[in-house]
Amino acid sequence: MRIEISQLTKTYKGGVHALDGLDLDVPTGMYGLLGSNGAGKTTLMRIMAGLLRPTSGSVRIGGHDITTTDGRLAVLRALGYLPQDVGVYPDLTARRFLDYIALLKGLDSRSARRRRIGELLEVVALTEQADRKLKGFSGGMLRRVGIAQALLADPRLLIVDEPTTGLDPEERIRFRTLLSQLAGDRTVLLSTHIVDDVAQTCRSLAVLAKGRLLFRGGVGELVAFADRRVWTVSTAGPAPAQGRIVAALPEGAGMRYRMVSLTRPAANAEPAEPTLEDGYLALMESAQATVPTP
Amino acid sequence: MTATLRYEFLMQIRRPSLWIVYGLVFAVLVATLPYLTLDLGFRDADLVKAAMTTAAKLIMTLLPIVYGCMVADRLVRDRRLGVDAVLDSTPAGRTGRLIGKYVGVCAATAVPLALVYFGRAVVYTVTEGKPAALGWSAVVFLTSMLPGLIYLGALALIGPLLVPPMLFRVLFVIYWFWGNLIPATMMPTLSRTIFSATGDYASYGFFLQERLALYEGEPEAALDFLRPAFSPAVAWLWMGVMVALAVALLSAARLHAIRSES
Repeated sequence: MRIEISQLTKTYKGGVHALDGLDLDVPTGMYGLLGSNGAGKTTLMRIMAGLLRPTSGSVRIGGHDITTTDGRLAVLRALGYLPQDVGVYPDLTARRFLDYIALLKGLDSRSARRRRIGELLEVVALTEQADRKLKGFSGGMLRRVGIAQALLADPRLLIVDEPTTGLDPEERIRFRTLLSQLAGDRTVLLSTHIVDDVAQTCRSLAVLAKGRLLFRGGVGELVAFADRRVWTVSTAGPAPAQGRIVAALPEGAGMRYRMVSLTRPAANAEPAEPTLEDGYLALMESAQATVPTP
Repeated sequence: MTATLRYEFLMQIRRPSLWIVYGLVFAVLVATLPYLTLDLGFRDADLVKAAMTTAAKLIMTLLPIVYGCMVADRLVRDRRLGVDAVLDSTPAGRTGRLIGKYVGVCAATAVPLALVYFGRAVVYTVTEGKPAALGWSAVVFLTSMLPGLIYLGALALIGPLLVPPMLFRVLFVIYWFWGNLIPATMMPTLSRTIFSATGDYASYGFFLQERLALYEGEPEAALDFLRPAFSPAVAWLWMGVMVALAVALLSAARLHAIRSES
C-alpha cells in the first residue's frame, strides 16, 4: 500500500509547527522513520492513522485521500496502528480486549474472530496469559497485546510508533523480528528514535527533524553519509573537542572514543567503518547548521 | 455501536465500586426514608399505583447521586488510559461509539437502581398480594424515572470533559441537592421545575393527580415560570425536555471530539 505525502503541514494551537511542508513517498515493505524526540514523527503517524487532521497538504494511502471522510474510512479498514503509548482497559482480559477491538474492526463472525484472536495470541506468545486481566501485564506484554490488536484485521498498512521503547533487549529483538516477518507484501511504517531498530529491520528510511524531511533513501545511503567522517581516538587525556562522540569505552588507563567529525579530530585518530547510527548523527550534525528553528 | 454498548455495559456492571457505593447509599435510603413502608402520610384511592410512584420518588431522591458519580469517569477514561488512539484508528464511527458508550454505561449503572425499585415492587406484590404492582412499576419506571436517568447519564458522561471527574462528582452532588431537592422557597433553585430530573412532573401529572392539592397555595418562588402546573401534557413535555437535554449534551460531546481532532 503506497503512501504519498505532499506538502503536509500541521500547526497546533499556539502556533507550534509539528510538520512543515513534508513530501514523502513510502513504498510497500518495511520503512523506517527516524528522528529525535519532537521531530514530528508521532504527528505524522497520527495523521496517517486518521487521528489528527492536517492543517494543509495531502496524504494519499493506497490511492485514498485521508482528509476526506470516505478516504479516511477506506484507510482505517486497511490499517493496523500501534500507538506510542498503547492503552488498554485494565479490567478486561487480553482475549476480551482483542475481541472488543476485533468487533470494532468489523470482524463480526464470532468463530472467525475467535480463530483470529487465537492465532495472534500465539504469534505474540501470549496464549497462556490470554485470560488474565490486563492490569497485571508488564510493559512488554502490553506492547505485544498492542501489536496483536493492530494485526486483527490482517491490515495491509501497519503503522507502529516507537514500538520498542521501554522493552528489555530480548523483547526488543523478538518485536523487531516479528515486524520484519509481518512486512511481506504489507507496508510497515516503523517510527522510532532508536537507530538500531531501523538498521536491523528496514531497507529504506526517512529522517525527520523539526517537522521537515532531512533525508529519504536506502539504509546504505544514510550509512554512506558518514563515509570518511567516523574516527576512533584513544587517549588518556580529555576527549577531543572537535566532532561528536558516538561511543566511549574505557581502555587501560585511558578511553577509546568513537567520533563523527568532518575533519580528523586528533592527530592519532584512525578512520573507522561507518554504521547507520554514524550516518544518522552525521546527518543531524550537518542539518543543525541548515534547518532553522520554526 | 453494539460492540461498544456490550463491552461498556460489561465493564461497568462488573465494577465492584458500583455495587459497594449503591449498597451504602441504599442503606442510607432505607434508614432515613420510608422505603420499607412506602408511607408518605396519606392514603390514595388507588393504593398500588400510589405505592409504586412513592417508591420511585424515594429512590429518585438519593440514588441518582450514585448513578451520576459512577457514570462520571467513563468517557474521559479512554483518554486517561490511552486507549482512545486504538479505538479511533478502527473503522467504527466515533458517533456510534459515543452512543454505544452512553447507552451501555448508563444501562449498566441503572441496573442496581432498577433492582432496588423492582425489588420493592416484587416485595410489595408478594406481601400485599397485588400483582398489578409489577405492571405499574414498569409504567412508573419508564415514565417517572427513565427520562431523568437519560438526562443525568448524558450530563455525567459529558461533564468531565470540562472539569476533572473528581471535581465533577462534587459539583454533581451539589447540583443534585440544589437543583432537585432543596425547596424553591428556600433559595432560587431548579427544584420542581421542568428541568428537575426527579420525575415529579410525570409522577403527579400521570399518577398522583389526587395529591395535587398538596402544592396548592405554595408561596411564590424565583423561577416559577419554569414550574407549570402538573398535568399529563406537562408530564409529556417534561419527558421531552429530559430527552432533548440528553441529545444536546451528547451532540456537544461529539462537537468537542471533532474540535480536538484538529
